[in-house]
Amino acid sequence: MDLTYIWHNICELLSFQKEAPMLFSSGIFWALFILFIPIYSALKNRRWQMIAFVVAFSLYFYYKSSGFFFLLLTGTSLLDWGLSHLIIRLKSQSAKKVCVTISIVASLSILCYFKYANFFMWNITQMIGGNFQPLDVILPVGISFYTFQSISYIVDVYKERVAPTKTWLEYLFFLSFFPALVAGPIVRADYFLPQITKNEKATRDEVYLGFWMIILGVIKKAIIADYIAQYNDLIFSNPTGYTGFESLMGVIGYTMQIYCDFSGYSDMAIGIALIMGFKLSTNFDFPYKSKNLMEFWRRWHISLSSWLRDYVYIPLGGNRKGSFRTYVNNFITMLVGGLWHGADWKFVFWGAMHGVGLAVHKAFRPILTKIPDNYFVKAVSWSITIVFVSLLWVFFRADSWSDSILIIQNIFVNFRPDYIPVFASVRYVWIIMMTVIIVSHALPKKWYDKMSLWFVKSPWVVKLLIFMIVVQLVLQFMSEEVSPFIYFQF
Amino acid sequence: MEKRYFGLWSILVLSLAFFVVVSVFDPITIGGVELRTVGMYEQLTKTPKHIAEQLAEQKKKEEDAKKEEAKRQLKLDSPQTILFIGDSMLEGLAPRLASYAKDNGHKLYSVIWYSSTSEVWGETDSLKVNIERYKPTYVFICLGANELFVRDIQEKRDKYVKNILSQIGDLPYLWIGPPNWKPDTGINDLIAKNVTKGCFFLSNGMKFDRAKDGAHPTRKSAIQWMDSVIRWMPKNSAYPIKDMKIPSEPTARATRQTMYQPKR
Repeated sequence: MDLTYIWHNICELLSFQKEAPMLFSSGIFWALFILFIPIYSALKNRRWQMIAFVVAFSLYFYYKSSGFFFLLLTGTSLLDWGLSHLIIRLKSQSAKKVCVTISIVASLSILCYFKYANFFMWNITQMIGGNFQPLDVILPVGISFYTFQSISYIVDVYKERVAPTKTWLEYLFFLSFFPALVAGPIVRADYFLPQITKNEKATRDEVYLGFWMIILGVIKKAIIADYIAQYNDLIFSNPTGYTGFESLMGVIGYTMQIYCDFSGYSDMAIGIALIMGFKLSTNFDFPYKSKNLMEFWRRWHISLSSWLRDYVYIPLGGNRKGSFRTYVNNFITMLVGGLWHGADWKFVFWGAMHGVGLAVHKAFRPILTKIPDNYFVKAVSWSITIVFVSLLWVFFRADSWSDSILIIQNIFVNFRPDYIPVFASVRYVWIIMMTVIIVSHALPKKWYDKMSLWFVKSPWVVKLLIFMIVVQLVLQFMSEEVSPFIYFQF
Repeated sequence: MEKRYFGLWSILVLSLAFFVVVSVFDPITIGGVELRTVGMYEQLTKTPKHIAEQLAEQKKKEEDAKKEEAKRQLKLDSPQTILFIGDSMLEGLAPRLASYAKDNGHKLYSVIWYSSTSEVWGETDSLKVNIERYKPTYVFICLGANELFVRDIQEKRDKYVKNILSQIGDLPYLWIGPPNWKPDTGINDLIAKNVTKGCFFLSNGMKFDRAKDGAHPTRKSAIQWMDSVIRWMPKNSAYPIKDMKIPSEPTARATRQTMYQPKR
């Protein structure tokens, strides 16, 4: 064995690889986190050194996922920080507004260029009948998340809800904090900046609670979501090639997949931050238990929905300008939320329909509140909500509008119950996975609290065993292909 | 390191060490399930030769992907005229494909040559004759079941497989591999080696309910076999036929069916 090769291979692993971004569930992150912990632990008492170290690690983390775009992040943070200090020094209100506008326009321009330029250009050329040549633009990972963080910071400084950080390094720490950098949760300045100042240490229990959240996140993301995704992909890539029953399973599967995928990653982010002594707010609170759309948006991607509420809905007038304006504001907010998810009309439609749903719910609320809140009503409300949410996920996931219609149509016109036994016999692992996640989603929250407590208090060797079993399960299911030969196991 | 971090850190270190060490040895099997390894050892110890091989493989993959993408652009969406030729396996497959054709606006002509092999089709110009007769826009083949146990198959049958493919010419096609009831001596590898990427459906490994002869899938199983082929096509075929809906009837009659008796 030649050590030169090993060294070369390590260097290669540590350099930017476009096709292999650093995920929390990857081996490379695991190895680096092992190096990170002792250094972080040693520097925790020396605040500035700790901040500098975490910033360096975060920028490296970003470099590993997005290459030299980490310089863009650094530049954005420098501009924001400079403008935030200018805002508090300026006396004139209009001058402050100019600073806020410059910061927001700069952040949104960068976001628009990378994320929406081709989308806008395509639409314009469609309207004027030109020849569309897409720009060769690579989307920097997590740009949507940190852009929203930067806007919240500058607006909060302007509104005097938060004081600007004393140093640029602290602000860069906030903006580039690696646990939340690439996939959220969207960290709010007023919530997070005081934590940097206090620099509280995590207790032993918090360290293990964070570890437990990472394990839960890995189970959700790398085992369940990634496995069930393979079947769902087959359905969405061939909308008419399956029976209505199979399409329905694909739709239910995607509903659970997107939850496990996203909330799993959030759990890992929250867990890692907690190990470091930082508390990130809950991002998903059993959203599919919701009995109406308003409740759903209070439980789903909470950091985004509360951001949209505070920085779009309320500035638009919220519910202070009469019923009609409330509905319109709701609609616009959800439209922005839809577009935030991606540069495609399908996301706009998805957001718009949620906006319509919320407006309808608000309009009927005076009547709905008069209905007795018994089990039957609860069941009906839950059913309507979950069906509405799941159907809209079809538009979110499918490649095109026509594919979405075909899938939904297929469920109703080509159900074919005779395929149910066949499906059950060949897709049993998928069914087991789905059952596990549906049942665990339905469990009361206090059970999770008890489980967390049990894990935290369990002997060290039990924790080790649980972790190793989970890692092995990830390996087992990682490359497990749900073959398109659906009758493979007959 | 502070004490509160040591427990967690040691868990991470020990488990990483365990998985790296395990990856050095051959995979362990427990209860028939092979435990997968992290592959870190391989990643860390790969030599320039490995790297060169990987790069070449990656380059080939990228080129294939480009070619495939170019072909996918030509996704076949107009009504197709399909010619389905092969051995007796067509008795089960063709009626199901006919049903797909009927419900999706395509025409199907099937030619069953009982007991035929790649040799039989490869040393005659029957395929070419049928192509001229029916003017198909797509060709399906199911051959190989009668040559599962031929020795030295590479030497004996390679030229015939090549001849069959040359008779097809530039037409889009799909070769459905034989439904192995026993391990073959190389017919699947031979076909896979000769066909364009995305033009071979490997049936080996699928489980079938067999008819009394122990070789042919039952009608029901053949229907599921054909369903699997159709479902495989959108993502994997070099020439996917657009939007093949599941037919309302389990089977149908081909527009025309020709049967050749075994060659003597």
